[in-house]
Amino acid sequence: MRCGFCGHEFAEAEGNVGCKNCPMSGGCKMVKCPRCNYENPPEPALVKGLKKLLARKK
Amino acid sequence: MKVIFIGITSLKGVAATMSFFKKKGSCHEAPTVASSGAKRVALVGNPNVGKSVLFNALTGAYVTVSNYPGTSVEVARGNATIDGQHFEVIDTPGMYSILPITEEERVAREILLNERPYLVIHVLDARNLERMLPMTLQLIEAELPVILVVNIMDEAARMGLEIDIALLSQHLGIPVIGAATAKKVGVPEIRAAIAGSPCSATPPFRYSRLMEGDISEVAALLKGKYLLSRKSLALLLLQGDDEVAELVRSTEGKGALEVEAGVKEKRFERRESFHLDLSMERKEIVKGILAGAFRVPQKRVVTFGERLSRWTVRPLTGVPLLLIVLYFGLYKFVGEFGAGTLVDVLETKGFKELFNPWITEVVKNLVPWVIIQELFIGEYGIITLGIRYAVGIILPIVATFFLFFSILEDSGYFPRLALLVDRVFKTIGLTGRAVIPMVLGFGCDTMATMVTRTLETVRERVIATLLLALAIPCSAQLGVILALLSKAPGALAVWSICLILIFLLVGLLAAKVLPGDTPMFYMEIPPMRAPQLSNVLTKTYTRMQWYFIEILPLFVIASILLWLGKITHFLETMVGWMNPVMGSLGLPKETATAFIFGFFRRDYGAAGLYDLQTQGLLNPRQLTVAAVTLTLFIPCVAQFLIMKRERGWNVALAIGIFVSTFAFGSGWLLNRFLLFSSIL
Repeated sequence: MRCGFCGHEFAEAEGNVGCKNCPMSGGCKMVKCPRCNYENPPEPALVKGLKKLLARKK
Repeated sequence: MKVIFIGITSLKGVAATMSFFKKKGSCHEAPTVASSGAKRVALVGNPNVGKSVLFNALTGAYVTVSNYPGTSVEVARGNATIDGQHFEVIDTPGMYSILPITEEERVAREILLNERPYLVIHVLDARNLERMLPMTLQLIEAELPVILVVNIMDEAARMGLEIDIALLSQHLGIPVIGAATAKKVGVPEIRAAIAGSPCSATPPFRYSRLMEGDISEVAALLKGKYLLSRKSLALLLLQGDDEVAELVRSTEGKGALEVEAGVKEKRFERRESFHLDLSMERKEIVKGILAGAFRVPQKRVVTFGERLSRWTVRPLTGVPLLLIVLYFGLYKFVGEFGAGTLVDVLETKGFKELFNPWITEVVKNLVPWVIIQELFIGEYGIITLGIRYAVGIILPIVATFFLFFSILEDSGYFPRLALLVDRVFKTIGLTGRAVIPMVLGFGCDTMATMVTRTLETVRERVIATLLLALAIPCSAQLGVILALLSKAPGALAVWSICLILIFLLVGLLAAKVLPGDTPMFYMEIPPMRAPQLSNVLTKTYTRMQWYFIEILPLFVIASILLWLGKITHFLETMVGWMNPVMGSLGLPKETATAFIFGFFRRDYGAAGLYDLQTQGLLNPRQLTVAAVTLTLFIPCVAQFLIMKRERGWNVALAIGIFVSTFAFGSGWLLNRFLLFSSIL
């Protein structure tokens, strides 16, 4: 994925997924850019599934 | 076969690094083979040149990401099968040189050397060929098996740059492939090159006689076996690479003293000028290599994106552009359309006229006890208040806000905003880097408070936390306030001026009170681009989903607490306590309820204000005073807890008390001013 702030490209798994510290949300699932720490929304499971499906058809 | 993508990794133990430099490999030696039998291929290059895109194109979905041993830096690995041969592709973090400065660059070099790749693919950006080629020179002189991928050729062509790939390959003495990996251009050629038989090349370039003489003298002193060429090691020693010096000590044994003396002598002769001399010579070599192979048009084509990018960072054009963005994006789209039109449809027509009367009947028929009915459909009922606020008021506002936010984000505007405000932020003890939490604060202040930990100094973190708690309204609060104030002429201007002045004044005072210096701020600006619809919609959907999942339970809990407060008459008592305060602000006593709501969630409080306005309880002056006070008012429970966690009890309590006092003080002053001046 590409960071929405600094444009750094990184694998979603590379980001610090969520912040388990948050007492109210229990982890927001945001993906932090390893370079600038901007919080990026992860790709929704629905979109990932569709992409996989399309890739298989190709 | 293994394909290694070189990135940045950190190195904690120098000793662990040593072994990586030993036993120099060549194309005649067997490269390291993964336990799966696959050859390793490493992708290396600066950040943002498309390494990860190429990695994904080569490996597909089966990727593992793990910390590099002994470090906290993660490295992605994937498998690729090309012409029946198996490769392990390693995507390493970005690096600028094989002489590491950052922890990440150290890890990148460690991967390159420790895992001795079958092939190193150096990916660079065609638009910055001159700046990135020096690293190719370093990889060639280290005698690593290198292929150069000149990526983003499509953008370079659009800028009128011409690159003769064949001539470049001839000048460098290694295979060179032109590509635009984001569009899959050049990927088949890269796959074919991986499947070929790469071999390390003899460098076809030389430094000046003096430089070559110095390098040769040091290289001649190295007798042990190393993974890198002696020339490369000599250069690293002369540049003061401590890890290489340690390696040489352990490899050369008694001879190490002679090497150290030789290096010391050369470094003394050249003093600090060695780095500069080397950089200048490499620059000259790159010039020679690019001669005839790289042409810049007489009059360079400046794309609209580049022009727009320049306008956004220059104060003279950047500030008006920012105001235009805020006017159309926030005021017209979020305020008028989201919080006006959409809320009217959903809340007034959907809930008040259709859903609420129906659900009220259903609950009354199902539940015989009035007190329990009240819990669901009463004044503070879970459905009639909590869910109505969440779905009818907050959801359409955050949907339009996040849509606007995602468009800006995808266009690359935010880093430019950081540059634009850097000078102003420096006066309040922050830097452009603080734009990240501030911008995120407009989404949710709680999350943004956590992000302040990424700021360099404690001083910056405290100032940013304070300003977030005080003067940055969250998306829903902002949307509701914009919608409410847009109905009263002048009110929005008064609210905006108050907030901006308070933000700057408090920041300035905090910077004066808190000791310390403001750090430097620099960042690489990504290109400005047209937002992609799919990206924008995906990001908006994800953010809305996250926001809604977070607020809905909280709104339900808040409704239950308010219901409990009502049946125990505690709420009335609290409202009674707040009556004198509301009176001093010139507000009706009902406004106290919105402030009590606001402590649960800022957006909940704003929705309460919306209800009061629709009931016609507030005139323009009262509305403005209430909006300013509520925006500045004490942070919600979640934000307070995060402040405590991030900054500790003392700072959190101090900020909480200061913010509350300041909010009511500002409200009182504003009310006096508005009464006196009769502006509204």
